[in-house]
Formats: sequence, structure tokens, C-alpha cells
Amino acid sequence: MSASGIFAGVRILEFGSGAAGPVATRYFAEQGARVIRVESAKRPDFLRLLHGPDPDAAPMFALLNPDKESVALNLAEPAAREIAERLVDWADVVAENFSPGVMARLGLDPERLRETRPQLITVSGCLFGQTGPQRAYPGFGGQGAAIAGFNHLTGWPDREAVGPYATITDSLSPRYVALAVAAALLERRRTGLGRAIDLSQIETGVFSLSEMIVRQSAGAPEAMRRGNHCEYAAPHAVYPCRGDDRWIAIAVFDDAQWLALRGVLDECEGGDDWGGDERFSTVAGRLAHEDEIDGRIADRTRDRDPRELMHSLQSAGVEAGVVQNFDDVLNDPQLAHRDHFQKLTHPRLGELSFERSALRFSENPGSVARPGPLLGEHTRVVLKEILGASPEQIDRWIRDEVLV
Amino acid sequence: MLAGFRILDLSDERGHLAGKILGDMGADVIKVEPPGGDPLRRRAPFLGGLEDPERGLAWLAHNTSKRGITLDLAPLAGRALFSRLVARADVVLESFAPGTMEGWGVGWEILSAENPSLVYCAITPFGRTGPYADYAAHDLVTVALGGNASMTGDADRPPVRCSLPTAYFHAAPEAALGIVMALYARDAGGPGQLVDVSMQECQVATLLSGVGQYERRGALGVRAGARLGRTREIWPAADGFVTFGLRGGHARTKNLIATVEYMAECGMAPDWLRELDWSSYRPEQLSAGELDRLEAAFGAFFESRTMGELYEQALRRRILLAPCNDPAAVLAHPQLRDRELFVEVESPDPQVQLEQPSFFARAGKDGIAIRRRAPRLGEHNDEVYGELGIGSHQLGELRDEGAL
Repeated sequence: MSASGIFAGVRILEFGSGAAGPVATRYFAEQGARVIRVESAKRPDFLRLLHGPDPDAAPMFALLNPDKESVALNLAEPAAREIAERLVDWADVVAENFSPGVMARLGLDPERLRETRPQLITVSGCLFGQTGPQRAYPGFGGQGAAIAGFNHLTGWPDREAVGPYATITDSLSPRYVALAVAAALLERRRTGLGRAIDLSQIETGVFSLSEMIVRQSAGAPEAMRRGNHCEYAAPHAVYPCRGDDRWIAIAVFDDAQWLALRGVLDECEGGDDWGGDERFSTVAGRLAHEDEIDGRIADRTRDRDPRELMHSLQSAGVEAGVVQNFDDVLNDPQLAHRDHFQKLTHPRLGELSFERSALRFSENPGSVARPGPLLGEHTRVVLKEILGASPEQIDRWIRDEVLV
Repeated sequence: MLAGFRILDLSDERGHLAGKILGDMGADVIKVEPPGGDPLRRRAPFLGGLEDPERGLAWLAHNTSKRGITLDLAPLAGRALFSRLVARADVVLESFAPGTMEGWGVGWEILSAENPSLVYCAITPFGRTGPYADYAAHDLVTVALGGNASMTGDADRPPVRCSLPTAYFHAAPEAALGIVMALYARDAGGPGQLVDVSMQECQVATLLSGVGQYERRGALGVRAGARLGRTREIWPAADGFVTFGLRGGHARTKNLIATVEYMAECGMAPDWLRELDWSSYRPEQLSAGELDRLEAAFGAFFESRTMGELYEQALRRRILLAPCNDPAAVLAHPQLRDRELFVEVESPDPQVQLEQPSFFARAGKDGIAIRRRAPRLGEHNDEVYGELGIGSHQLGELRDEGAL
């Protein structure tokens, strides 16, 4: 937590699990908000069990939840639900990504909470939203990406619709959750009123694909997966380089870049005129012959070091980038310049590289200071500070399986 | 939600969606285009196939809820006019290569000196400073250097990107969030500030902590196409593809049992499959032969059914299966229709109705919705410059001087 953070003083109470919800509140924690996660050993976040039975030794959970506090609250117990409601009284924002109806069953549905607390901001972020005939659909992010259209758009035209790596709705939706909450906080300064935000992870995906939808409704050629090819640029693909599974991405948008690419790739081949064919001299011509051009480029990149080639091409004004694997990303000089990775020591997992957001503010640097919490690590301090509970009362609640 | 904030959007295709998001949230977003129009206006496909800067479908999709003006920043008169616009604005959003705005004499330092409460957001591929700051990138090269491409696609082919620009899709809400955060800091009494957004860092975020997990584990993953590790995720159906994980784990047991029941009812579950104990299913412990047999049984079943039939039963039986929807299926989706995600937006051709997603979240009254169609080139010159007190005569002079 940074005292000078943009959200210093903002209080967020978080329910839910997985990536989509918890990633959203990180933006606030990085800028000084106090974020308290309500969890329970009775039903741990599935990310805590992804790598084994110990909920406190789960790298993915720890990495996605830095700078948060964890309160163990067994919401099956009425006393725990009373405690939760008192934590809501403390909060400016209640964020959750349960299936629709779960918060209501816990007596914590946003509408009810906001009846007596109109200043409260609530955000619900499940897969399909809080309304509609399919709201109870039980899928994960992988299903969300497929439903939104990302699978259809990713892969090779002659093969399966594979979708982008990881689950894109899990990386798109938290950005929109955070944006909606930040805007509601900004608005509340002027109006004194909060908002209830109903966000569907799938809809954030479809919203992102507005171009695909507009094209479809216009009866224009359907947006479709086309490997790395691009409808308006060629060459535009990924080419082999020297080494095991080493590749370079090259994107040429105009004739000047095409000439520059030919210049760089001629250098290494003793000046053969592989790209001088009249058919390749315009964008339309290159698009019409892109497979042939791709083959010629691949023959000339195959024995080159991808990083050196990237530097040569970029220096010549051609968009090019190494297809970086995770090791390259970890050691990327540009990301290092931006301090993207922050090393912190987790009590169970040792040193881990945590990530910052993609935002750098000139006045508010923000910070990533503490690894994701152990389950219930902050139960005592939160109940003492916020509820004023005595150590004896807390012991009783622990014994009664309220605080587990 | 953002009524009362004025944003000058000078961005190109890398930032159009960020400006649209803020406009859809109620901000007064003014798209500032060079006199010839934004290059995206000339991107095919066009409405009705007619090449016309007012009919580019990508342009129309990403510029709703904005007013539009033309302004040439190169001549002195244009620069002076821009200063007057900035004096009345809260935010400047741009996505030029670093140094471009400085070259015109309207860089962050100068504008900030003129208007200390200005928020200035720059979206760049890699950030405004650092070893790759001057490298050029649009989507493909960003996705390559950000790590996602290395894991997307099949092992026997090059890494692959999504055919619509996911680099922009992530950077846009991140930038919009950064802008709202800076406004929040400013409205607490702070100064305006620079928000420096790296598209590459947004891409690293799509890995959902994958790099930190890799560092701990020490082994690189491999592109697995339609699979996740050993088990298949993407399956051919009779009329397309569906996603269904043959993964193990407690969260998936019930769904595997329900799937086999469904197959049995259709007479497509062999005896050995019906007798399997899914509670102890551990695909990582099966031999290749055993996995093949399982995959063949599920595969034959999915291939015998349409995506629609399978999804209908998945909803009924709570099976974690979803169709890889094509654009037509997304646009017709009953859940999205029920939530009124799609709205008709005024089209340049009255004969053709254009539809597009109206919101990324439901936020209640005066919340998030498309406010107006994308502007025609220079459509609001009179209106916006009129608000600066510039009459039509003076506007004509400025036009003659080449400022517009």
C-alpha cells in the first residue's frame, strides 16, 4: 500500500474467486486502496487448490492477489453473514464474481445492500451477467471466450478454432470491472451516490469485438481466423528463426516498409532479388501472393538470430518482434525498464515475480508491496480494527467455525 | 457516469476504442482528425462494399459516442487552435510514436504548463521511454513481444495471433481506466498528470501470472492448439467446434458424469465408459492408449451433434461445454439479446441497419450506452469551434490557412 496512492483511503470488500474478479481490484490495491478478500477454508478459491492441497502454497493465487488482506469467513454460518454485513458498512465498494444468486442467498445482494447504503458501489462480474435465460450457465473463462467469438477468430483457417492462449475473458473483464468501479468512485464524489454494476465477462468480450458485430450486421465479409495474415497488410506473419521454437513476427503495412524489409533480408543473402518481382510491388499484389512471399521470407529468416533480426528490421523502419516465450518476457529489457516485475518474498513460496499494471502515472507511482495473502492471514487484525472485536470474541468465532 | 468531462481523442486505431469507451460512459469525447481524416476511415470492409471514408465498418465500430473535428497540428494556426481546445479540456488521449506530439510543439510538458489540471494519456506499443520505446508495433508485433503468441496455436506451425487486434482490446480499457484514475486524483485536489500506457505490458497481463509461474516451475510450456496439456479442449461438432475440457479435478467431476449420461441416453456411451469412476479420474495418470480411447468416444459423440444441440443440453444438464460461436451466432445469441446488448446505431446507409454492442456493463441510469453514431469527417467543426467563440467567418479563414 502506498500512502500517496490515487486510491488511498478507498475501501474495497471482495468476494469471489478465480482471475476475472480478483485481478480487477489489484489496480486499486496498487494505488493505495485497502482491499479485503472474504474467503473460507471451507470453500477455498479454486486458484488456491490449482497446484495442490495446500491453499497457502498456490503460486497463481499468490501472484494474482498481491497487496490484499484475507479474512476467513465461513458464510454458511449466520454469525459470519452478520460479520460480512458489518464489513459492507465499512466498505466503499463491494466486488463479487459469484454465480448469480449466491450473494442473494447470503443476504448480501447488491440491491438490498444499497437500499440502506445508497453511497455503496457494488460490482458483480460473473460469466453471463445477473439477468437473462442463461445467467446460471456454469462455465469457466474457456467457455466465455468461445461464446464471445474469440475461438472462431483465432487459429488456422483449416484447423480448429483454438482461441488465444489462457482465457481472454479473464484478462479483458477485470479491466472493465476496474474501469466501471473507478468511474463510479469519481462520480460519487459529485453526486454522493454509488451504483450497482452488473458486468458479464462474455459481454466485455463481445464489446471488444464490436468490429466483428458491425461487420456481421452490415452483411460484410465475415471476420474469420486467418492464421497471422491480415486483410489489409502483407507480408504479415510469423517466420522461423535459428534455434528451437524461435520465431519472429513481421508486419509490413506499406511500400516503404516492404522496400526496407527487402533491404534487410537482401543483406544476409548476398543481395539476391527475392522480393523484386513486379507482382509484389503493391499491397494488393502482396496480399494476392502472400503465401509465396511468406515462403521466401522464411527461407531468409530461418538461419538468423531472432533478436538481432528484430533490431535490424526495427532500425530500418520495419515492424518486427521476437515471439517471446515466458523466459524472454521475464528477461525483457523494456519490461525491466518499466519495472514490470517486482520481486517479493512469499512466506511459503519464497521469492516470486509479481506484475504491475500497464499504467505509469507521473504523479502517483504506486507500488506492489506484499504477496497475495495466506488464507485468513488478516482475520484477527481486520476484525479488531473494523469491528472492534475482542481477542476472546474472535477466539469464540474461530472455535464455532465462523472464522474459518 | 463521466458527464462533464471533456476528452480530446487524437489517437489512431490503437486508441480509438479507449475514446469510445469514455464516450459510451458519458464523457464529451471529441475525435480530432487530420484534415484527410483518420486512416481507419479508409480500411475495408466498407458498408455496402462502397469505398467511402464515411462507410468504413472498423471506423464506425470504434468511434461511437464521439463528436468529430478536423485539425492540422503542423501549421502554427492549427497549433494555436489546439491550445485553445486544450485549455477547455480535461484529457488529451493520443497514440502517436513517442516524440511526435513534441515535434508539433504540443507535447505533454508544454500542454501541462498551459493547463496544469490536464490529464494526458499516451498509448504506445512499449511505453514512452526505454530501449524499445522507438520500436514500431501494431497488434501482431505487440502480441509477439508480450508473450501470448508463443503459446497460441499448434506445435507444428508458427505461433499465431487472434485475427482481430487483442493488443488494442486490452490497452483500450486499461488506458480508459488510467484516465479515470488520474481524474480521480486530480479531483481530490491534485494536479493533472501523464498516464503512460504500454500495450506490451497489457499483453503480459493476458498470461494471468504465467511468467511468474514459469519462473518458479522452470519449464516452458508448449503450444498445444486444441489441447490443454494432454487432454483435448476443442472438438469438432457436426457443424463447427465446441469447447469441452476432458480435464480432471473436483470442479469438473459432476459435469463429466452428466456428459456421459447424455451420451448414454443417445446410445453413444460404451459400457466401459459408463462404468468409469469419474471421482477418481486423473488424466495425467492414464496411458496414451487409454486417453485415445476416451477421446475417441467423446469425439464421436460431439461430431454426431450440432453445436446448437450440444449447447442446449449443456445448459440443461450443467455441462461445461460451449460452441465456438461464429459472428452470426454471437449476434443472434438469446442470452445477449435478452440483456439487450445489441442496439441499432444510425447507419450511413438508411437501407442497412447496423447493430453493435451498446455497453460493456450495465450500470443503471445514465450509465454506459452508445450516445451517438461515429462522426462524419469534420461533422462538428462548427459546433466545437463555435464553443471556443470562433464564428463561421473566422473558421473559413482557418480552413483557408490549412488549419482544419
